[in-house]
Amino acid sequence: MIGLDIALGLLMLAGLASTYRMIAGPTEADRVIAADLLLFAIVGIVALAGVRMASTATFDIVLVASLVGFLGALSLARALTRGAR
Amino acid sequence: MNAWDVTGQVLAVLGSLVVLTAALGVIRFPDAYTRISAVGTAGGAGIVLVVLGALLTDPSAFDAVKVLAVIVLQLATSAVGSMAIARAARLTRTPMVAIYDQLATTDDVDQPEGRPRTPERGSAP
Repeated sequence: MIGLDIALGLLMLAGLASTYRMIAGPTEADRVIAADLLLFAIVGIVALAGVRMASTATFDIVLVASLVGFLGALSLARALTRGAR
Repeated sequence: MNAWDVTGQVLAVLGSLVVLTAALGVIRFPDAYTRISAVGTAGGAGIVLVVLGALLTDPSAFDAVKVLAVIVLQLATSAVGSMAIARAARLTRTPMVAIYDQLATTDDVDQPEGRPRTPERGSAP
């Protein structure tokens, strides 16, 4: 299980880096991009932590989270242009 | 510690390295367009590798179906989401660090002195 722990640590580093960009990003587009990457990191963390804790409902959560993440990316893109296409 | 276990952990570490590379790009790249290219490239492949590694570490048939759905949907949708964000960034005139902007129109170019960027209504041409 040492590989899963290493992967969890790397994903947490990626989440921290995207959080930094979300706080410091000079434009709004940078914050939206950081939100997209932060969602990817959290989905990976949920998948690995579920295996690490021998949880049974993990892949359901990952499936729903990836679908909601796609909708969230489209919604943030629409919110960035204030509703214009 | 059988072969599935080792393969799954190697895949999980590879996938998290892909996501970490995207995070490094988000930190270090100069403008929003290069950052979204890093995230869009790594988002699909990274999540697919991590979820596949998590499945192979603890394999079961029900989880395999769910992971197959996650992989297909993630590969189909992550590029669409990234392109939507990049298009929204371009539409809101986010500044670009590039040699030249291939999507630029005449409104984006600095006009010579004495000409307004967009002509006023009713003004002489």
